[in-house]
Amino acid sequence: MKNLSLLAPATLAALGVLVVLPMAFVVLQAIFPELGSGSLRQPFGAVSATFSDSATLALIGTTVSTGLGVALVAACLGVPLGALRAQFRIPAAALWDLLFLVPFLLPPYIAALSWILALQPNGYTAQLFGFHLGGLLFSQAGVVLIMGLGSFPLVYFAVSRGMAAAGLRLAEVARVCGATPWRAFWRVTLPLSLPAIAASLLLAFTLAIEEYGVPAALGSQAGVQMLTNAIERRLADWPIDPPGAALLSLMLVALALTAYATQRALLAGRDYETTTGKPTAGEPASLGAWRLPVCLLFGAIALVAVVLPLASMLAAALSDTVSGGLSAHNLSLSNFASLLDTGGEALAALGASLSLAAGTAVLAAAVGFLAAWCVSKGVPGAALIDACSLLPAALPGIVVGVGLILAWNQAFWPATPYGTWGILLLSYSCLLLPYPVRYVGAAFRRISHNLEAAARVHGASASRAMWHIALPLALPSLAAAMLMVFAVASRELVTSLLLAPPGLQTISIFIWRNFEQGSIGAGMAMATVAIAASLTLMLAGLALQRKAA
Amino acid sequence: MASAFATSSGHAQTLTVYTAGPGSLSKRLAAGFQEKTGAKVDVFQATTGKVMARLEAEASNPRADVLISASWDTALDLDQRGWLQPHHSANAASVPAQFKSDNYVAQGIAALGIIWNTGSGTPEPKDWSDLTAPAFKQQVTMPDPALSGAALDLLLGLQQARKEEAWKLLENLRDNGMTVSGPNAQALTPVLQGAKAAVFGGVDYVTYGNIAKGETVKVIFPSSGTVIAARPMMILKSSRHAELAAKFIDYVLSEEGQKAVADAWLMPARADVDARRPLFKELTVLPQAGSDSDSATLRGDTLKRFNTLFERH
Repeated sequence: MKNLSLLAPATLAALGVLVVLPMAFVVLQAIFPELGSGSLRQPFGAVSATFSDSATLALIGTTVSTGLGVALVAACLGVPLGALRAQFRIPAAALWDLLFLVPFLLPPYIAALSWILALQPNGYTAQLFGFHLGGLLFSQAGVVLIMGLGSFPLVYFAVSRGMAAAGLRLAEVARVCGATPWRAFWRVTLPLSLPAIAASLLLAFTLAIEEYGVPAALGSQAGVQMLTNAIERRLADWPIDPPGAALLSLMLVALALTAYATQRALLAGRDYETTTGKPTAGEPASLGAWRLPVCLLFGAIALVAVVLPLASMLAAALSDTVSGGLSAHNLSLSNFASLLDTGGEALAALGASLSLAAGTAVLAAAVGFLAAWCVSKGVPGAALIDACSLLPAALPGIVVGVGLILAWNQAFWPATPYGTWGILLLSYSCLLLPYPVRYVGAAFRRISHNLEAAARVHGASASRAMWHIALPLALPSLAAAMLMVFAVASRELVTSLLLAPPGLQTISIFIWRNFEQGSIGAGMAMATVAIAASLTLMLAGLALQRKAA
Repeated sequence: MASAFATSSGHAQTLTVYTAGPGSLSKRLAAGFQEKTGAKVDVFQATTGKVMARLEAEASNPRADVLISASWDTALDLDQRGWLQPHHSANAASVPAQFKSDNYVAQGIAALGIIWNTGSGTPEPKDWSDLTAPAFKQQVTMPDPALSGAALDLLLGLQQARKEEAWKLLENLRDNGMTVSGPNAQALTPVLQGAKAAVFGGVDYVTYGNIAKGETVKVIFPSSGTVIAARPMMILKSSRHAELAAKFIDYVLSEEGQKAVADAWLMPARADVDARRPLFKELTVLPQAGSDSDSATLRGDTLKRFNTLFERH
């Protein structure tokens, strides 16, 4: 490829298949209810039926209020902790940072199932301490709290980094000019970090309204139905209603896009990746007498958000029977042994998930790298490439799944990835494309254009310059993005459930099906193995990044 | 890892089977069949509701060769739509007449009952109506009939046998705080840990499996009668491997196949293969709907009424 003029169209074509095609079919199905039988009759025929249904309004209401609730919980936990982390020297700060990374690794549906086992009547807390929180757990508040505990680290890290980068130096100036520490915090540091806080809260909101696993796990016991569950029910439970699923999908995308666009607008012009390079004049202050209370606060939140769900998961995995409860003679490794002897089913699921995640990391990285490169070079169509490659960040998994089914399960394709593992590769790659685009895009913004220009002046072709200059310089960012993609793809639940072909199980499907069939111990044993694997990977990734930096 | 990826549907000797649980049984049948014939079996296993949804979503582009559902009613429905093709298996000779027709035949039979946690401190229930007693306030769950084929059969059976009285019973259960949750085992899970005391209308085979594992639960068949849910197997008309599909049905009905069915704690369809659990002849069975001419409408209406009663969308 001496000539790079074909690169932009090729990138656009790849984005068209990955992102635009499934979304186009969601829109088509929403407009033409009889699309499935190859007919364009009765356009907009399903719209009034879906929207006049009072249940639809209730669904939107529950979805939005759950999202707002999660943002509130994430704010109450993440903002104070993040502010403390940025302003003061916290004992064992690195340990807290590491612990608060764990909720990212713990898939929300596994956290929800663990909380059920811990808190329901006669659950682990009832067995150990004599109280249960079943009433709270199986309610909208329960759904909100569990999701909030999973997403507050987003806010914590955004606030602690944002404040450290933007606030401390200027707050120091305020102090020099005579402001009290509180005044400097309220009038300088906090206002400066508000956009970062607001953006992270909007992200928590977006993730909450797109979440399928938690409300599905707490299920009808909680009486909480969100748009994601209603979409899944309309497409995956008999009798099916594809037009209804498509219309609700569009509504969910509209909500998510609004939140996402607001978040982008708030962060416009504030690139936190680069601002961290500024010299920080002031050291974080000492806590003095508050050392112990602050440590207790960090410890208490880590206990609830990280230790409790993990302990509950381990307890179930290590119990011989569920009704046997927590007792020494019920302790057994039989669930882990059963992973090995169910006809290789568990190992096949592990293998399938890991291969698919590796494939996704390569595909998403390749397309993402090209997209980021096209955008940084400002090729014709760069704006379109940028928009298409970042759109999936606002697309809920369930909607991408619906779109892929509608797009590829049509009789007119001569060949189709539907019904093969290829469809899962497409869905994961679409959902995770924004990671490499963002990471590599940030790297390109730090790399001077002169470097490639210099290579060109010395006679290197454009493709040679890209291969030998741009790629090596962006490689650490690309590798970090690939690790993220791998970690998230290996645990993805909702599109796997919707799209997995006959004969193929992923880790998440294995865990979910075992729960469906009452084999809780086997499901939790698999969850333990999967989380141990991704924890190892994440630590390796962190080490790799430290080495690169 | 390679085998996980070798799933492309083009292979001539690959049979695609869509089946409702139990997962371990479908795995064993697939492996046994592969050993016998060399043909690979790709299994999609989920709840009856999900299996039927996928079948319907793929109507214009069908993929499944064989369907095994947990609700007899689904076979009647697909037969009326003309989706099935006939197969008379020689191995079906000793399957009772009520469990076979030209186009479908039972794989095995489950019975529905009350699943009760013996350590729950509640009095042992004897009949459905015992679960409306104050002792079972907030203590009962039921599988969602929209997801569980067997629970749907129970609903239809109770309605057929008791008419309005059946709905009165469900209303009383609702007023006693019964929750409706997910497919079969999702209703069973809280009962295992003791969060709930009993399942109304749980399938028995899942529970027998749990008892064998050492869980302290018990299956009780109500004195006033329950329903049995035969699990129909059928070959789809759209199948491109009809011959292989017929062989698969023959295999499931062979002694070896029926033994696997018995080991999954189901009643084998064949009367001459031993079960590891009580047989339906020993139970009080409610009279069941036959090949009703409008079973699809009946099912739709019944589900709708149930969803209204339990305020579900």
